[in-house]
Amino acid sequence: MSGTTYRHLFTPLRIGPVTVANRIVFSAHLTNYAENGRPSPQHAAYYAERAAGGAGLIITEEHSTHPTDWPYEKLIHGFHEDVIPGYRAITEAVHAHGTPIFAQINHNGGQASSMYTRLPVWAPSPVPDPLFREVPKAVTVAEIAEIVAGYALVAAHCRTGGFDGVELQCSHSSIVRGFLSEATNRRTDSYGGSLSNRARVLLEIVGAVREAIGPGMALGVRLCGDELIDHGTTIEEATAVAAMVEATGQVDYVNTSIGTATATLHMIEASMAVPPGYALWIASAMRKAVSLPVIGVGRFKDPLQADRALTDGHCDLVGVVRGQIADAFFAAKARAGLATTIRTCLSCNQECVGRMGLNRWLGCIENPRTGKEAVPLPAPVARPRQVLVAGAGPAGMQAAIAAAQAGHQVEVYESEPLTGGQVRLAASIPHRAEFGDLVRNQLAELARLDVPIHCGTAVTSALVAERQPDVVVLATGSDPDRPWWAGDNGHVVDVTDVVRAAVDVRGDILVVDELGFHQATSVAELLADRGCTVEVCTPGMVVGQDLGVTLDMEAWWMRAAAKKILQTTDVIVTEVAVAEDGRLRVSLQEHTTGVGSERTVDWVVLAVPAKPRDALWAELAGTGIAIHRVGDCLAPRRAHAAVIEGQRIGAAL
Amino acid sequence: MRLLEPVTLAGRTAPSRVIFGPHETNLGVPGPDGRALSAAHVAYYARRAVGGCGIVVTETASVHDSDWPYERAPLAALCGRGWADTAAAVHEQGALAIASLGHGGLQGSSAYHQRALWAPSRFPDPATREVPMVMEQLDIDTLVAGFAASAALAVQAGMDGIELEAGQASLLRQFLSGLTNTRADGYGTDRARLVREVVAAVRAVAGPGIAVGLRLSCDELAPWAGITPESSEALGKVLAGGVDYIVAVRAGPFDAGGSRPDSQVDEGFALPLAYRLRDVLPASTLVAAQGSIVDPTMAEAALGRVDLVEMTRAQIADPDLVAKLADPSRGRPRPCTRCNQTCRVRDARNPIVSCIGEPRSGHELTDPDPAGQAAPVRELLVVGAGPAGLEAARVAAARGHRVRVIEQSDTAGGAVTAAARGARRDPLALLTGWLVEECDRLGVTREHGRLATAADLDAAFDAGTQVVVATGSVAAVPPWRPTCTLPVLTARQLLEGAELPAGIVVIDDPIGGPVGISVAENLAAAGIEAHLVSQDVTVGTQLARTGDLAAASGRLARAGVTLHKRSRLLDASSGGVVIEDRYTGATTNVPAALVVDAGPALPHASLADGREVAVAGDAVAPRTIAEAVLEGRRAALAVER
Repeated sequence: MSGTTYRHLFTPLRIGPVTVANRIVFSAHLTNYAENGRPSPQHAAYYAERAAGGAGLIITEEHSTHPTDWPYEKLIHGFHEDVIPGYRAITEAVHAHGTPIFAQINHNGGQASSMYTRLPVWAPSPVPDPLFREVPKAVTVAEIAEIVAGYALVAAHCRTGGFDGVELQCSHSSIVRGFLSEATNRRTDSYGGSLSNRARVLLEIVGAVREAIGPGMALGVRLCGDELIDHGTTIEEATAVAAMVEATGQVDYVNTSIGTATATLHMIEASMAVPPGYALWIASAMRKAVSLPVIGVGRFKDPLQADRALTDGHCDLVGVVRGQIADAFFAAKARAGLATTIRTCLSCNQECVGRMGLNRWLGCIENPRTGKEAVPLPAPVARPRQVLVAGAGPAGMQAAIAAAQAGHQVEVYESEPLTGGQVRLAASIPHRAEFGDLVRNQLAELARLDVPIHCGTAVTSALVAERQPDVVVLATGSDPDRPWWAGDNGHVVDVTDVVRAAVDVRGDILVVDELGFHQATSVAELLADRGCTVEVCTPGMVVGQDLGVTLDMEAWWMRAAAKKILQTTDVIVTEVAVAEDGRLRVSLQEHTTGVGSERTVDWVVLAVPAKPRDALWAELAGTGIAIHRVGDCLAPRRAHAAVIEGQRIGAAL
Repeated sequence: MRLLEPVTLAGRTAPSRVIFGPHETNLGVPGPDGRALSAAHVAYYARRAVGGCGIVVTETASVHDSDWPYERAPLAALCGRGWADTAAAVHEQGALAIASLGHGGLQGSSAYHQRALWAPSRFPDPATREVPMVMEQLDIDTLVAGFAASAALAVQAGMDGIELEAGQASLLRQFLSGLTNTRADGYGTDRARLVREVVAAVRAVAGPGIAVGLRLSCDELAPWAGITPESSEALGKVLAGGVDYIVAVRAGPFDAGGSRPDSQVDEGFALPLAYRLRDVLPASTLVAAQGSIVDPTMAEAALGRVDLVEMTRAQIADPDLVAKLADPSRGRPRPCTRCNQTCRVRDARNPIVSCIGEPRSGHELTDPDPAGQAAPVRELLVVGAGPAGLEAARVAAARGHRVRVIEQSDTAGGAVTAAARGARRDPLALLTGWLVEECDRLGVTREHGRLATAADLDAAFDAGTQVVVATGSVAAVPPWRPTCTLPVLTARQLLEGAELPAGIVVIDDPIGGPVGISVAENLAAAGIEAHLVSQDVTVGTQLARTGDLAAASGRLARAGVTLHKRSRLLDASSGGVVIEDRYTGATTNVPAALVVDAGPALPHASLADGREVAVAGDAVAPRTIAEAVLEGRRAALAVER
């Protein structure tokens, strides 16, 4: 495959006064890299890495335009003049690669709280946001003028800071969206009512910002095509607003989005449960409504898919965010005909989206470099060592990758016939197939690094004695554990037994969720799809509680309802006994009330904490050999912990 | 008063027996030094010493970088400067400064350092479900050395003592407890061994003239394997030898916030634990009581049986607590309502510690001190005697202005009076009661039962009198309301004692805060069948901040309230209430007799329309007491501009 495979992706395009070399946009997204309201060196390094990786255009995360706007702690306060040195650092670092960079500027309006500002939240009307739930202050006409002036001020800062353009976020979390939408604009003055009234503030901002930046910079407007809420903006109004924006003659492109950040975030940053390209219809409708270049977004995972969207005429540029978080060199690899070497995004949302809402810096489950671009790469080792990695799950493979990249001689042993450990199992379940790309990507990297993998060979102390490595990295994973009440009943099985098809589970099933993530819900769906009657119970307040973090909760609930999966919370299992008919009688107790209940089922499936498989650690301890543990064999956790630990140990040998 | 008596620890004398205990503040400065004690920390602690606090204990610092339990958690290695500045500032007031040292172990977080959590045994924290790594001897040695090195740094910085954290969220408690320590080695067969080793190592570097204290969980509320009040006696005796004082706390892995609960838990709930320890320990080991001790009367009584009292939230609510007790002419200390709304900051968003009634707490470096006398003196008219209006009046009067308040109701307190009638929320009224008392003491004129009119404002304007409009809120119109054929009450009306029809009550609670929950509890307590409709996957999600989320769910379940989670009240136009599941669209019909609107309100500030007057609190936008008090205070200070 070569760069010519793509008909449009690598063709240049004029966006007003700016020409982009290709159609791949690293569009705006939160990073939580800001410090004290200012851009950090990590921002510059993060964007520069994507510029080096061939992105055609970079649009930074939002810069706030007014002191009343501070919805999350690590927001860039663009209205402070002291952001300008940070802006310069970002733009110079990106321009060093010849890549244009725009700044997104925004006021979040009512989609905020007063926690940080200690000031009333500003919005068109006193309609509380469904997430923040704080009643905002309806802005006066004088305050609207202040908002407009704030946009102009920040735009001027961006101009001084060396940006090539400015994008107005009017889409998923914005006071402009608040004005545009009937759901949040109940005003009766000239800023409310008809669509042209609701769009008035946007057009005033466009005028003020254009005046501030002059003709030499690009100006874009990002619009929401469907808020997916009651009485919210839909595509008809969105395209009408796009036409009004174009009619000003002052705007150079239109960017698109779907959903609102606080009511329907799961559709903005959709996980793998939502089909790729799911929001493209919005860009397509916009492109029919205006002649300006239009950016399409929404789970663009690979360059062929992006090129196809261009070929089909849905959009002029493609926003690839998570794809370039997972692999900063997404564009360059595609252009060089090496698309198969792209570290494909899983859309798992664990370390990117999942960390944003928790006020933590943005990372990536499979790219340990993401979020640490400002940390210098270590120099290759002077004295290569022989490294033996035991286990080819995510931890072992990442340790092997990092060690090989550092210059060591690495070989990997895996006791099972296939690599991938529990990731391979997890990816065999409905809606979770893309998770398997983690294994594929690691295997591809190991192949490029010429690291041999010996499957079907368990590492023993005898093997270590025979191979005589300088270092052993143990990544042997974990074994299922059984809670005390499970006893040795053969019909009480682990989720991994079910997924491996080690047991033939049928009939009425009780899944016990003590892990609060995909394990229980995935198996419940797998079994329901097979015709089982399934109930999931948990001692927690919610089944699969952390699915909320990765934005998988809403879709899980919908699928669970469709599959008639029952969910029971706040219960512990107190006993499993064999009933007279040979089935299992499970005693549950609601721990909030002490009320007991019973279930008669054919199987109980456990999603409970595993135990480390670390016998070799004890065996090799004290033999004088250098040995490290990574991943589940140290402490059974989730895949991101395995990858991070593998990387850290592998790079530090 | 015993509270005001000096007390000696390791030869160092504190001017009073009141402790400002260790607690999360999020006062660290974001960035590379985010884990150091900042200038804001120093100002926060110094302010309590100025107010008469005897012993200031600084925020628990992690003794080793394997512990990073929350983003702004101090790291001892970075705290030398902050400790030195705190010690200097606190010593200037004659008080003692003690450094709290700890390690969160399996109750920490892997999100920041991205390493496995340390633990005695493989026990996942119920809150995070994260499986920790089991510490080996090398890790234990590292931990002990970390405690010693951190203590040495604190002593070098001039701190008067070290407090070792074996309380609610600590690795030391995890070793002490049979719940979390199932080790087969010497640290498991003798679960107190690690703590003894830590105490010995700290004592060795500190020497005899430095106070060494232990914050000890004496009840994990998990009697099947945890520390119990009974077993705490033996534990206390084993550990007392090496320490100068022990703080008795109640909390364990199933409720890590339990040592500092909101008003749903009784005041002074842990006093029996401290008394029990006092009874069995030698007099040379002082015992401090802790646990929702906010009332000076209770504290004074407790000092009849123990040596010290920790009154942390009471001093967040009023930094001058001790000074005001010593000089009653300064008025009564501002009461703590135990609401936990802004002082409890173990929250991923890193809110800064503060107080709903004393907004300057945590903001000592940035907020003006409202104390002092104004010149020239002005006239002020305040419309509304809710928390915003009362605070405006109180501050203005304290600064010497002549203040008049007009309130349409016969009583003061505004929306707080109703909110305080929610289940076990009565302490909220202590704050408004105090505001009224202070206003009266400071000579504020209050006119009740009169609706202020435009004529009042015109007259004020003509007389050169400044005006603050704090007229609160009015009910909003939720989407189901216009077609509703059932009787409807707002939560406020219900709490104010409105007559209820017989039958089922459905509460529409789109907020998930304390109001809807407490209304449901009130109804259930009155024997009324209550249904609570929440848009969230659990009810009362906003109670996560105050620490009452899980407990509230439990209380509702025990009370028999029917919970409609992830739902919305769709329609009430045909005799009953239709509740829709937000995700599936499935509907449930409830044959209700009454709907209670526990949703957001709308501002009521028509009096201010078209005028250049200050507006404060719910009249700006209906929010909480915290915003009302803050804006009321700002309005009062703005009088002088």
